[in-house]
Amino acid sequence: MTSGTGQRQPGRDSLQPRVVWLHKDLEQLVIRFLRRKEGDVQRMRAALLDEDFDSIERAGHDLKGAGEGFGFPELSVLGAKLELAARSRDKKLLEAHFATMERYLKRIQVRFN
Amino acid sequence: MRIAILEDDTSQSELLSHWLQLAGHHPHAFEQGANLLRALQNESFDALILDWNVPDLNGVDVLRRVRQQLHSSVPVLFVTGRNREDDIVLALREGADDYMIKPVRRLELLARLEALARRARHVQDQAEVLEIDAFRVDCQTRTVLRHGKQVDLTAKDFDLSVLFLRNIGRLLSRGHIRETVWGSNAVVTSRTLDTHVSRIRNKLGLTPEHGWRLAAVYRYGYRLEHLDQAAMQRLTADDKAAAV
Repeated sequence: MTSGTGQRQPGRDSLQPRVVWLHKDLEQLVIRFLRRKEGDVQRMRAALLDEDFDSIERAGHDLKGAGEGFGFPELSVLGAKLELAARSRDKKLLEAHFATMERYLKRIQVRFN
Repeated sequence: MRIAILEDDTSQSELLSHWLQLAGHHPHAFEQGANLLRALQNESFDALILDWNVPDLNGVDVLRRVRQQLHSSVPVLFVTGRNREDDIVLALREGADDYMIKPVRRLELLARLEALARRARHVQDQAEVLEIDAFRVDCQTRTVLRHGKQVDLTAKDFDLSVLFLRNIGRLLSRGHIRETVWGSNAVVTSRTLDTHVSRIRNKLGLTPEHGWRLAAVYRYGYRLEHLDQAAMQRLTADDKAAAV
């Protein structure tokens, strides 16, 4: 996992998916959170088509704030990168971050105990 | 504690609420600053958690109004992604009591909230025994002595008495009282609440001639006041004049 500030394009495996063990109490919250984040990727892609960088920056900011609390520090790092890339209006970097986020969400394995 | 959260990100708000509930608190989430300010007109909270970037009024605007217009000293903890030094300084200078940068950690958040409330004396004395004026309240045996004599109280009367005696001078909303004494899910009418308040006022002698006043505040709630000598004389004289 990289912890840079989004100035360079992330490599294909810069956010290695992992098995995450979380407390059973969090199960419903986490399921909803991950579902929302999947939706966020689609919304950010649509926002990029409209060059609505403010919306992407906000979504990145929210992801940065919430990811680690839910047990996904990689998503907080990615949120910070999205926020910065949106601020600098770097479309290519944003597309790369969207792909990384999508891949991460697809491959993450969450277990509850 | 009864805690209001201003946070427009649903996931973050749900997570904070979950953490607070697990720790035995009563969270109330608001997505917009204006809604929180409206609630504060009628409701009391032990602490506020404010995010900075929310729609309409941002967290600092809300904080300013809480301090300057509502004249409230409720403890305020900022929880925000804004990490610039000048942002932190601005929030603290506007009256925030503490500032945390997201992502926040659960135990640290809870510890900071408890510290704020302790300093504000809202959870003063979670001690088992409270000794105030003529009262001795034992929370373990759930008994109240007044001038050394046990007062006959029901379970709810006891909880209500403890709530007021732990919050002397503080205006508590009806919602706050209901939630603390009867729990979040209980359906309690205003009349039931008023009846219990009236009963403890009589049983504990919370009246001006005994140095106390348990005052109703119209459309809001109640406040228990410990009167000084001058205030006692004034109020007793007023009562006598009204009786003539």
